[in-house]
Amino acid sequence: MARTEKAISKTSVNPRSVPKKKTKIKKGYAGWLFASPWIIGLLLFYALPVVSSLYFSFTTYSILQPGDFIGFKNYSDLIHDHLFWKSIGNTVYFAVIFVPLSIIFGVALAMMLNMRVKGMSIYRTVFFLPTLVPQVALAVLWMWLLNPGFGLVNGMLDKIGISGPAWLGSETWSKPSLIFMSLWGIGQAVVIYLAGLGDISNEYYEAAEVDGANWFQRTFYITLPLLTPVIFYNLVMGVIGAFQQFTLPYTLTQGSGKPNNSLTFYVSYLYDNGFKYFKMGYASAMAWILFIIIMILTLLIFWSSKRWVHYQGK
Amino acid sequence: MRQSMKRIQLFLLATLIVLAFALVGCSNGASSSKKGVTTITFWNNATGTGKDALDAVIKQFNKTHSKIQVKSTYVASNESSDDKLLTAVTGGNPPDISLFDRFKVASWANQGSLTDLSEYAKKDGITKDKYYPFAWDESSYNGKLYAIPISTDARLLYYNKDEFKKAGLDPNKPPTTIDELEADADKLTIKKGSRFQQLGFAPWLGQGWLYTWGWAFGGDFYNKDTDKVTLDNPQVVKALQWEQDWAKTHNVEDITGFQDSAGSDAQDPFLTGQISMQVNVTGTVEQIKKFKPDLNYGVAPIPTPTGKDFTTWSGGFSLIIPKGAKHPKQAWEFLKYLGSPEGQKLYCGTSKGDLSVIDSVNQDLFKDDPIMMQFVDLLKTSHNRPSISQGQLLWNELDSAVDKAIHGKGDPKSLLEKANKKVNDALAKDKAN
Amino acid sequence: MNTIKLKSTVAHICLIIASLFFIIPFLWMLSTSLKPITQVFSFPPEWIPKPFQWSNFKDAIEEIPFWTYLSNTVVITIISTLGAVLSCPLVAYSFAKLQWKGRNVLFGLTLAVMMIPGQVTMIPLFLLFNKIGWVGTPLPLIVPSFFGIPLYIFLLRQFFLGLPDSLRDAAKIDGASEWRIYWQIMLPLAKSAVLSVGLFQLMASWTDFIGPLLYLTNETSYTLSLGLQQFQSAKGSEWNLMMAVSTIMTLPIIVLFFFLQKKFIEGITFSGIKG
Repeated sequence: MARTEKAISKTSVNPRSVPKKKTKIKKGYAGWLFASPWIIGLLLFYALPVVSSLYFSFTTYSILQPGDFIGFKNYSDLIHDHLFWKSIGNTVYFAVIFVPLSIIFGVALAMMLNMRVKGMSIYRTVFFLPTLVPQVALAVLWMWLLNPGFGLVNGMLDKIGISGPAWLGSETWSKPSLIFMSLWGIGQAVVIYLAGLGDISNEYYEAAEVDGANWFQRTFYITLPLLTPVIFYNLVMGVIGAFQQFTLPYTLTQGSGKPNNSLTFYVSYLYDNGFKYFKMGYASAMAWILFIIIMILTLLIFWSSKRWVHYQGK
Repeated sequence: MRQSMKRIQLFLLATLIVLAFALVGCSNGASSSKKGVTTITFWNNATGTGKDALDAVIKQFNKTHSKIQVKSTYVASNESSDDKLLTAVTGGNPPDISLFDRFKVASWANQGSLTDLSEYAKKDGITKDKYYPFAWDESSYNGKLYAIPISTDARLLYYNKDEFKKAGLDPNKPPTTIDELEADADKLTIKKGSRFQQLGFAPWLGQGWLYTWGWAFGGDFYNKDTDKVTLDNPQVVKALQWEQDWAKTHNVEDITGFQDSAGSDAQDPFLTGQISMQVNVTGTVEQIKKFKPDLNYGVAPIPTPTGKDFTTWSGGFSLIIPKGAKHPKQAWEFLKYLGSPEGQKLYCGTSKGDLSVIDSVNQDLFKDDPIMMQFVDLLKTSHNRPSISQGQLLWNELDSAVDKAIHGKGDPKSLLEKANKKVNDALAKDKAN
Repeated sequence: MNTIKLKSTVAHICLIIASLFFIIPFLWMLSTSLKPITQVFSFPPEWIPKPFQWSNFKDAIEEIPFWTYLSNTVVITIISTLGAVLSCPLVAYSFAKLQWKGRNVLFGLTLAVMMIPGQVTMIPLFLLFNKIGWVGTPLPLIVPSFFGIPLYIFLLRQFFLGLPDSLRDAAKIDGASEWRIYWQIMLPLAKSAVLSVGLFQLMASWTDFIGPLLYLTNETSYTLSLGLQQFQSAKGSEWNLMMAVSTIMTLPIIVLFFFLQKKFIEGITFSGIKG
């Protein structure tokens, strides 16, 4: 069997299967080759725009005009920008609460949806639905559900004797409301967890069964540890996504960030600067500060991952 | 096995390439140009009756101009974003004409992205006195003309006559002073617990921007001579102070609750009778005709502290020629046409709900409509938002100042002083560049 | 026996309660799409349309050149999804399982480019496509996906890292080439992850608004998301029609998801090769 396949690969014109001489060199060669589409893509479609934005951050670029080189002026101006700090505060608040919650709920949901129960296809589809409903529609629906006077949520709270807050209209509750809404759309993360759960080899469970492990032990000693590569992914992407939160609060408040700028998030403010006030240089400086923040957090996550992420392969 | 795999791969790749080329081929259809005929592209986001109106004008124009043909393309954009136009101008590939919110003319002109139309206008004898002064001012920046205004609106106080009767008020005597407004509002308000069954009035609802009240109080937002905004103008401060007091005495949280549950269009609170008085724009007239034709309502000038010197402010649309347009000369012909009495009559007569920027056209179109005539009467003295490079920042700052003031986050004077400084700093920066 | 039955009942109850929470927005969209306009903004909201106005769907489709937009969207979506599914696993595999110089640096860069918000890279990217003459064609919407998308490369890398090295080593001893190990052994093992990537890219491409807005200039090449926007500005106040269009737009993805989701649990256990 092995021999015939080898013969075929030799006759094949595929350059990737050129007969090997020295494994070391060949190894590296294959790696580069496999990654080559992305190396080109990275250089063309990503590196160039990213580097340009770095340059813009030192200029008064306005999109319509190239502007002048002003060194670190944009950065130093940002330090004195009250709304900049406010938007950082809002964004950090959102990220710190939303990311952990999304992981806990996402994993729990995925485990529920991974049970062998009849009709699971339908349940899964249902959990995925909110990610498919257009954002504008979601925003309007939420405004109704959370309406202080007539909304469903306050109606239910009223029944159990709690007089509900003004939700989106209240400075204290606007961000928790947003977090609540965002949790609704974790369908994509759940799909990833489901795929991760599917990739855990049955052997582990069979072995656990033999050892007489209970549900709790199976979950905490097999499922969760083997799901960590995927949790790790969702954590990193969750942080990046939370810090770049834009569409939902922007549609909800029509860009105003009301009440009292409590829904002005970092990228909302960046967008206003770049596209409404024609201060793309300033916006680019904001982007790079955001980059540094996210970078530090990601590095921390990577550094810690050695302790808690377990790959089946190793 | 392996061979067939390869074949599938090759097949996939080939299909893709063919598809990709087919796609490119489809969309790259070369623009057909007959001899001597120039096709000019016109981007707009008009839909519905607005589109009907533009189409009518384009049809008429194309008929009367054999050498120029206008081709209209729908391009999504809204008040806050014209990403497409922005990128197209940056890429040096803009349309010849674009429909454009006049509010943004100054900031785009300041960026050098609009074609200066002053010379064309001079040559063809198009001058300020042909239009309402505010429309011309908003189309100009630093003394140069950058746009041709094509439509406008105004703000008035709408009030529900039936509810006036029910509250024991004279339905033919809407409030004229701020004090009367407040007294009438209280009589019209029916509240149960924290819920309004009927809200008499709230200053910041509808079109009650700070612009509306600042001018009504006799203030001003901009000094042309110094080219600086004057948000700390004592009358503007007074207007905001009044709003803040209103919020305090009428419990702003309850009003916000009311506002959040208000519907739009057919369920607009004014149409459903949930609010008795509201400052609104001209378009509301059409909205009422469409969704609630039997509503017994009237319009009146926005009350002022003295009950005199009524005023309003107007926005609207214009046509611009972006910098880098291929056929500015031909485009200008279309601008001129839509801005002429003939084009205006066709456009505003078809679009419904838009006022013309030419007084004689309005007098002609609306002479039999007493409600529309109330708007037309105020247009000659109507204000426009300052034509400055930082119009958007100014708008956002004013909006945010009102939001803070009514929620008790600071006193009006210091809020406005802060906003004033921010906008003036930004203006100074623009000038330095 | 009884405990199993009890367990499944409990499971169903939990699932149904949670489902209710998640199905609300969709039900609301569906019910609004069938309401007459006068009922849309009634307060408190009513859930059952009275009467059911099926003509909303017809009106919605007729308002925009629906079929043209649909076919444009389908073509762009399919090609770009294919691109992502072909390129991303390949690159991810290289990051996860192959040893080469500069690998970690490149992977770091892959993550880094995601940390810059798209709002600031949008303009330079547009200028790039403008320079090479692709503006006005769908190429900027499909070609980049053939060169890899960082989000999915990272995701797939995580999956490949989870696959046992023993498989690779065994194949190596058999003398299989790197390409064969990837294509015939490793890729099938990551099927569920590749499928999710396909689904995500399909959704992203299907609903992408800013891309088609910036790059398509001819109305005949517009996509559904632009149509939705066009529709919104024409009939924005007619929420019932808006929701009808939205429903039509999301339906294909829902159906697709329904059939795809089974594959997500198949994963390694069903692929016939056990670690």
